[in-house]
Amino acid sequence: MNVTIKVNGEVHCASVAPETTLLSLLRDNFNLTGAKLGCDVGDCGACTVIVDGMPVNSCLMLAGQADGREVLTVEGLAAPDRLHPIQKAFEDHAALQCGFCGPAVILSAKALLDENPAPTLQEIRDALAGNLCRCTGYTKMIEAIQDAAAVLRGETADGPRTGVSHD
Amino acid sequence: MRAFEYVVARDSGHAVALLAEHGSSAKVLAGGTDLLVELKSASHGPEVIVDISRVADLKGIAITDAGLSIGALVTHTEIMRSRVIGEMFPALADAAHTIGAVQTRNLGTLGGNLVTGVPSMDSGPTFVALEAVVTIVGPGARRQLPLAEFFAGPRKTILKPGELLAEILVPRKNLGKPAAFLKFGLRKGQALALVNAAVSLWIDSHELVFCEPRIALGAVAPTIMRAPQAEAWLEGRAITPEAMVEAGRIAAGEAKPISDFRASAAYRRDLVAVLTKRALEGACALARARLERDGQR
Amino acid sequence: MTDKSKVAEKTKEIAVNLLRGAGEDLRLPAAAPAVTYPLETLVPQVRQQTPAVGQRVTRPDGRLHGLGQTKYIDDLSFPGMLYAKIKRAGIASARIKRIDTRAAEAMPGVMAVLTGREIPVNSFGPSLQDQPVLADERVFHAGDGVAAVAAVTEQIALEALERIQVEYELLPAVFDPLTALQDDAPRVHPPKSNIYATKTIRKGDLEKGFAASDRIFEGRFRTQMVEHASLEPHAAIAQWDPNGRVTLWSTLGRITLGRVDIARTLKLAVNRVRIIATIVGGNFGGKNEITQEPVLALLSKKTGRPVKGVFTRGEGFVATTTRHPFVMEYKTGVTKDGRILARKVRLVLDGGAYCSWSETTLGKAAILSAGPYRIDNLLVEAFVVYTNKTMTGAMRGFGAPQVCFAYESHMDDMASALGLDPLDIRLLNVFDEGSLSPTGQVLQSVVARQSLLQAADRFGWREARP
Repeated sequence: MNVTIKVNGEVHCASVAPETTLLSLLRDNFNLTGAKLGCDVGDCGACTVIVDGMPVNSCLMLAGQADGREVLTVEGLAAPDRLHPIQKAFEDHAALQCGFCGPAVILSAKALLDENPAPTLQEIRDALAGNLCRCTGYTKMIEAIQDAAAVLRGETADGPRTGVSHD
Repeated sequence: MRAFEYVVARDSGHAVALLAEHGSSAKVLAGGTDLLVELKSASHGPEVIVDISRVADLKGIAITDAGLSIGALVTHTEIMRSRVIGEMFPALADAAHTIGAVQTRNLGTLGGNLVTGVPSMDSGPTFVALEAVVTIVGPGARRQLPLAEFFAGPRKTILKPGELLAEILVPRKNLGKPAAFLKFGLRKGQALALVNAAVSLWIDSHELVFCEPRIALGAVAPTIMRAPQAEAWLEGRAITPEAMVEAGRIAAGEAKPISDFRASAAYRRDLVAVLTKRALEGACALARARLERDGQR
Repeated sequence: MTDKSKVAEKTKEIAVNLLRGAGEDLRLPAAAPAVTYPLETLVPQVRQQTPAVGQRVTRPDGRLHGLGQTKYIDDLSFPGMLYAKIKRAGIASARIKRIDTRAAEAMPGVMAVLTGREIPVNSFGPSLQDQPVLADERVFHAGDGVAAVAAVTEQIALEALERIQVEYELLPAVFDPLTALQDDAPRVHPPKSNIYATKTIRKGDLEKGFAASDRIFEGRFRTQMVEHASLEPHAAIAQWDPNGRVTLWSTLGRITLGRVDIARTLKLAVNRVRIIATIVGGNFGGKNEITQEPVLALLSKKTGRPVKGVFTRGEGFVATTTRHPFVMEYKTGVTKDGRILARKVRLVLDGGAYCSWSETTLGKAAILSAGPYRIDNLLVEAFVVYTNKTMTGAMRGFGAPQVCFAYESHMDDMASALGLDPLDIRLLNVFDEGSLSPTGQVLQSVVARQSLLQAADRFGWREARP
């Protein structure tokens, strides 16, 4: 079965068996390993990617269902010379520890902020309800998302600097 | 997952034709949030997957002459975002919101949730309380039946091979009927319901009594059940906090919960009493708010 | 036909920019600040802050995590790589009468099959080597692996497992630790007793302490089995080089210990085993010892190809270590003001099918079981018993969380019965500078009392009490 899908703005083709999930397609065929296999049944959210603007569990979609659609993965967020504000905020707040849930959480945050630029605390929690994290307790992720939201609204420039200079 | 053949249906007629062609070796794929989980653990899989997820004529939310019509392929997210539903039946949006998480709601469909036939499904009870009717298409003629009769047992519906659930309709007479839905799970998200309770009722603005109260309970019987004794007791009775408590108690007696590793039957019965009471409170509050808004007080 | 080139180009562009130093935002925070010599060494005094404390530091792995560029074991892939799956027993206690792997071996795409009999030294463990790599004659818990397959796809490996026929003779099993403690309970590892380690702590004169007490309280507490469920499942890849050395890429945390276990089970000199651990996607103690590594190494040896194994989430629950369930009995003698004069503790740890880190857990739990309280007369008797359940091992706290739940609940129960503020009973008994631990260690830098008072102040404890 042939699938043609736009990933991170670029059109890709692959020939795969029908039972291939979108997650396998991204990881094994397109070498985009940011989306992770955590449970394979749509409970942990580590496989989250954005399809046509909606965050979904890519382990629960067949590759064929993504045919002709647009997919955004974590690899599509940063520009070649600049982090996405959400990635920068996560780094500045040390929001990730082992990092395994990170790409998925960042994409869930992106989908939220794309639609709701000024989310309440409860709305942020709701947006992350499908992303399990065993390391962090979510607090710094939520703070990072609030910071990134302010940057994206143009209220602050580039977010807080850390104590360590990179220059 | 085991290998299968994959075919994409263009419209509902094509879907029915594909199901007829492949017979019992085919399974229907809509949102996939239930089917794919099943396929991954099944010892024997279907030979053919019929993907109906792009069938446009099974989507859509609209008020028609018959009532509020919701296509089977409407997703839970679409229900949450529908202006029509938000104004007329916020309880339906509340119920959709309790399902899984954002990711599952973006893929999962109302029809898919109903067709699983699990007694703990979150979408069913409110529709049952609103006396919804479902439309089924298949090789034979289109047919309609009350949603309450659609469920045959745990994970069993009355769908015959080759049939598709096409539409869920809240009948015209219930348009605007105040309703409330409450779910109790072990977590706030990604949780299976221990008990679901949905209530719809009218308030007679002059007498302030319960009119046509309907109570639907989930996860406390082999299928979603009504609570006819509690409903009959409420009909025409004055709206008081005590009445709602008593109705909850009666409904708890009608429920047939089991004990399992999530909760005991006794705990579930207790939840039925509390959730029914709170759902009645919620529906009454909505009814009163609407009466005030419409200047009928 | 796939189109990796376009994706690779963009990734390459980012990598090249990183190297060139262009795109300041993407530069890794790897440049250390300039250092002036000679370095001034800091010798912090007790309870004095060093300049480092309170500083915000960027995590060195944060950049790659956010970009999704961190490579975990399952993100690695090698040419010709095969996929391994392990067949789980599914029954708690049995003798294996017969394993027939012929149908699995004959399946197209199956490159090798392995059973317990082929493991050179089929036992490992951090203190007792009582755990088999693959079950050979006996199955001790439902998650025991009984055979393994390496195939060209994961799906073929899974289907091959179904074709492996195993004939079992069911044996008696024991699941409750208190039952396992009894003399007439089925023996999990006969002829050994189910009690495989004990710890006893004695201090002072228990009977004298109880005799002098105004009140004596008893309480029994139980905690449940917990799975670490780190987001990243257990995974490893094995590959041999032409000189007979094996490399394991693994989610294993303790790689030095793991290296020795792999060398031992494969009967290889240690210098022929190389372990590479990458960033691990959560451990919490659950990745402290080997699981499938020797299996993958042998499958790789048989096939001459790299072999990867990734546990399913379900395998993470049944076939990797968990937190010990505890049964804890406390008997405490106090004055009527709540001052503890004597305490007797009995701990029974559910030690699962294999020892794993139970001895360490037992010791730690025993020492901490009295709580951070000054007790002159103490007896702690702690046992860990085998049961036919998933092995219990290291998990954050190593026995501390369980006993803390017990002794703090017990403190609250006593306070309630005596009509005391739960804070006051603790202030009355808590360690001070120079207090002795149950095992006679003189404790220093003790700030328990100050912490309790500061916390009470900050949370408005006194104001909230009626």
